[in-house]
Amino acid sequence: MSEYKIRKGKEIAFTISITILTFLGILPLFHIIATVFVNGLPVITKESFTFLTGTFSNGGIGPAIAGTFILIFLSSLIGLPVALLVGVYAYEYPNSIIGKATETLLQIMLEFPTILVGVFAMSIIAIPMGTYSAFAGAFALAIILMPYVAVYTQEAMRQIPFTYREASFGLGLSRIKVIFRILVPLSKRGILTGVLIGMAKVAGETAPLLFTIGGLYESYPVSVTKPVGAVPLLIYTLVQSPSKGNHRMAWGASLILLLIFLLIFIPIRVSLKEVKL
Amino acid sequence: MFRFFTLFTGGRKMKPCFNKIFKSVRRIDTFQIITLPAVIFVFLLFVLMLFVYFYNALPAFIREGLAVYFKNIWQASEEPGKEYYGLIAAIWGTVYTSMIAILIALPISIAYSVFVIDYVPKKLKNIFIIVSDMMAGLPTIIYGIWGVFALVPFLQKYIMTPLYKNLSFIPIFSYPPVTGYSYFSAGVLLGIMVTPFASAVIREAYQMIPFTYREAAISLGLTRYEATKILLGYIKPAIFSGMILAFGRAVGETVAVSLIIGNTFNLSPSLFAPGYTISSLIANQFGNAYIYRHMLPVLYAGGLSLFIIGLIVNIVGLYLLRRWQENVRI
Repeated sequence: MSEYKIRKGKEIAFTISITILTFLGILPLFHIIATVFVNGLPVITKESFTFLTGTFSNGGIGPAIAGTFILIFLSSLIGLPVALLVGVYAYEYPNSIIGKATETLLQIMLEFPTILVGVFAMSIIAIPMGTYSAFAGAFALAIILMPYVAVYTQEAMRQIPFTYREASFGLGLSRIKVIFRILVPLSKRGILTGVLIGMAKVAGETAPLLFTIGGLYESYPVSVTKPVGAVPLLIYTLVQSPSKGNHRMAWGASLILLLIFLLIFIPIRVSLKEVKL
Repeated sequence: MFRFFTLFTGGRKMKPCFNKIFKSVRRIDTFQIITLPAVIFVFLLFVLMLFVYFYNALPAFIREGLAVYFKNIWQASEEPGKEYYGLIAAIWGTVYTSMIAILIALPISIAYSVFVIDYVPKKLKNIFIIVSDMMAGLPTIIYGIWGVFALVPFLQKYIMTPLYKNLSFIPIFSYPPVTGYSYFSAGVLLGIMVTPFASAVIREAYQMIPFTYREAAISLGLTRYEATKILLGYIKPAIFSGMILAFGRAVGETVAVSLIIGNTFNLSPSLFAPGYTISSLIANQFGNAYIYRHMLPVLYAGGLSLFIIGLIVNIVGLYLLRRWQENVRI
């Protein structure tokens, strides 16, 4: 009987401890979101529209928001075509040596320290050009975006039943038509999810932008070969400054960044059951 | 060409067959002509990246040799002759904080996986998974700002100060936590950040255990705790590789860490001492490295070491995970 009690006791202790640990694990997210809203909302409501459109000296982060969207757009422009082709290749040749190597490389790039990509983009683009630029930042972000989209493309195409493939080849279509006209359109939802995940990731990256985009917060960006600003980089700079006013701006900017992230993340969750970031 | 062959085969029957072969050869080519360059481009980019780091780090190796990784000294000087740099403090900081991170991530991610799969009702399961996914995707700078203004003050007040006051005779607690910026704070924040990645791997593996094993364990009259203990034994390799991948993530994390680690050259085993990691060193010093003559190559050498650590950790983690998925197939 006493042995039973010990076992029962262990069982209860186990249940309690994993419940506590789980909630300890997910608690930070709620605390982060709450803190960002509590500290950021007053800043935004106080400045209202100026905060979203004004330049930094007017109390706004308009140029940084514009910069972030430019960077997302440019990096997608550079990264998506390559990512799609690589993903399709990895799907089509899963057993060849190059195919296997590609898959491994993509997994490695997913986990790769982003600061290294930033320094790399600086040394091959920003230094030869002699200036920080939106293009250098977008190039670094494209390298980060690429593996997400490629892996999702590959995964999405694997979900298509093999019979579709057989049927398409049976019609006598060429490989290129089978892939790009039939299989890619069939898996477009999965691919789109990958694209959104890549964008969500790119929107929040700071480290690759440290030495590539320079930062521009007093006027709106005009050219891709000139420095631009970005919301995450602005937050990073502001947090390091000792002034309280700057910290308030940082909270406001964090709220905007969180909203941009949620704006991209929610459609992903709606369209897909599980996301691997 | 066909005519030549049909001469020998003599019939129309063979013609479509050859036709097909020639066509299929052509088909493969057009597909590969389009996709292969993209693949090669990505590979070349990766090799180029390695080359850029190696090439730019070369002057540091020539000047200081491999000692650049093993000396604890950071002497920036206007006179090039007096400059001397060593990266061991940053490497130590990187390894130390990442170790703290996975020590935190290990129990939490296992508990989370078990809790979500065995305990949570089906309807709520999705909410827990969404929360974990959101944590994995949340911009790291938001973790950073939260770390600076919420986590560090909390840790300093409620954990570090009491530990220092009561247990400072133990070496790891011996540093006075004046600012709170320390290995410990950075490690805790990293732990929070990498937990979702580790739990994604562990959760997936735990879910893959066939139901019959669960049934068998419970039919033996085991309690849930005992059954879980046995089931977790099956996925040990997956837990291990999840930890390795989480370690890889922690090693590469930059901005959040550089905001709260204190950025001081330090080779201290004390948890509450401020320090440096390789990535925060690069983030902090790269901007002004141009003023000095020999600093830049050293930072590239640091980047190279991070590159190689990241590469090895990820390859080992992926290899173990894949081998487990292929061979053990429970």
